[in-house]
Amino acid sequence: MTLLEVRDLTAGYGPAEVLHGVSLRVEEAEIVVVLGANGAGKTTTMRAIAGLIGRKGTVNLDGASIIGLSPDKVVAAGVSLVPQGRGTFAKLSVDDNLHVGAAKRRDRQGIKEDLARWYEVFPVLASRRKQMAGTLSGGEQQMLAVARALMSRPRLLLCDEPSLGLAPLIVREVFNVLQRVNTEQQMAMLIVEQNAEIALGIASRAYLLEAGEVVSEGTAESLRESDAVRRAYLGY
Amino acid sequence: MQVFLERLFDGISNGAIYAALALALVMVFRGTGTINFAQGEMALFTTYIAWGLTTKNIPVVLCLLIATIAGFTLGAVTERVLVRPIEKRSLLATLIVLLGLFLALNSLDGILWGNQNHSMPSLFPNGVNSFISVDGARLYWANLGVWLLVALLVGAMFQLFNRTRLGLHMRATASNRESAALAGIPTGRILLLGWGISAAIGAVAGVLFTPLNPDALGLGEMFPLLIYASAAALFGGLDSPGGAVIAGLLIGVAESMLSGYVSAIGGQLQEAIAFVAIVMVLLIRPQGLFGSKEVERV
Repeated sequence: MTLLEVRDLTAGYGPAEVLHGVSLRVEEAEIVVVLGANGAGKTTTMRAIAGLIGRKGTVNLDGASIIGLSPDKVVAAGVSLVPQGRGTFAKLSVDDNLHVGAAKRRDRQGIKEDLARWYEVFPVLASRRKQMAGTLSGGEQQMLAVARALMSRPRLLLCDEPSLGLAPLIVREVFNVLQRVNTEQQMAMLIVEQNAEIALGIASRAYLLEAGEVVSEGTAESLRESDAVRRAYLGY
Repeated sequence: MQVFLERLFDGISNGAIYAALALALVMVFRGTGTINFAQGEMALFTTYIAWGLTTKNIPVVLCLLIATIAGFTLGAVTERVLVRPIEKRSLLATLIVLLGLFLALNSLDGILWGNQNHSMPSLFPNGVNSFISVDGARLYWANLGVWLLVALLVGAMFQLFNRTRLGLHMRATASNRESAALAGIPTGRILLLGWGISAAIGAVAGVLFTPLNPDALGLGEMFPLLIYASAAALFGGLDSPGGAVIAGLLIGVAESMLSGYVSAIGGQLQEAIAFVAIVMVLLIRPQGLFGSKEVERV
């Protein structure tokens, strides 16, 4: 069952078009990764799906169009983006950050339960719940950004470069958590990454983006073995 | 002692008004990233509305209520119609538009209500004898009323900021607008609300302040208040509501003491105190007493 369907997506900044007709899909409970070099349009793709920038084409969630929606409506529809650079509310406590993540929800009891669940999945956040988010380390802030996005109970989680600026061990940890959430909650994910090795490790399918177009797609295994990906992103 | 106390009372009353206006400035600054130059003139406009209604023998409380609603509407419309389309371009453009609004509102006041000064009736008993004696000093009911209402207003704002979901969403939007939108907060609505609330606070401040002095309601009434409030907002830290309130009170008391005890300042150089405060803050501690460092960039 297709959860997210993107067809002929074009988007950009002002007169500069960055995406020239990107098409991709994410099935229910599936992890899909988008690979690509700097400037290929990975972040633009994410921002376009999340409604942060003007875009044209088709973006359907479970068959319903979400292309014209403002960012908060996209969240309400069930898509949550963990932005590049984490977008932490630095002057809010960890607890408040997570409550902000539940902005669209009205079910107090459910919010409480989710808080407890994510504090259990992210014990490092639980030990700092009253601390200002700006004082956390990069890895902790990444965990917080993921947990905050999960607080909206998304059907699809978008992650923009979760490994950016993190030490290898921490990157491992972040991806382990993503994989765990995927398995336990059956949550579909679309992950944009430069670290192809680790991203392909948890994904079932992958797309290769170059200069605003999808140039290659397939199962994670097949992309791992393709020469283009190996040379450019895996380095062997 | 008696003179000192009376000057202190006056200072606290003025300071409370500066504090309220500074709080309004900080609310707009946190959301939009600009000083609202038109804040004072918005308050003047709504104060004229309130005064106009009192001349029709409508109770002052009701006039205050109507002025507050008018203020909220004025602030919200300003955000939606003037600020939102412009701010995407640049902060400077927004500042210029707000300066334009400052002039436009002042001229509109002149057209609608003329350039004569008026006295505004007070919410509180305001006769020559409506005071209580504190150690021989006269503490007027009007002053006490201002303190009480501003304290209630400030208290309510802090409850809103720190204890409610809406307040949390406002703080999140102020901290990082894009992340707030990505978390599902309708940031446009939050900003509109912030502008509305801040103009409503201004409206209350105007209706409270004007009756403290005879013939105070005039076209030039609010400009000095805006200067004092800006000084207070800067002094407290532009992104710190608590700082704005404390600094507003400090500046009010300092003004009253300095103009009372330093004859060289007297009644003529009062506003210079605010300017000196602004310059000193910018030179010595640009982020203000309670502000955070990031604000310096703006």
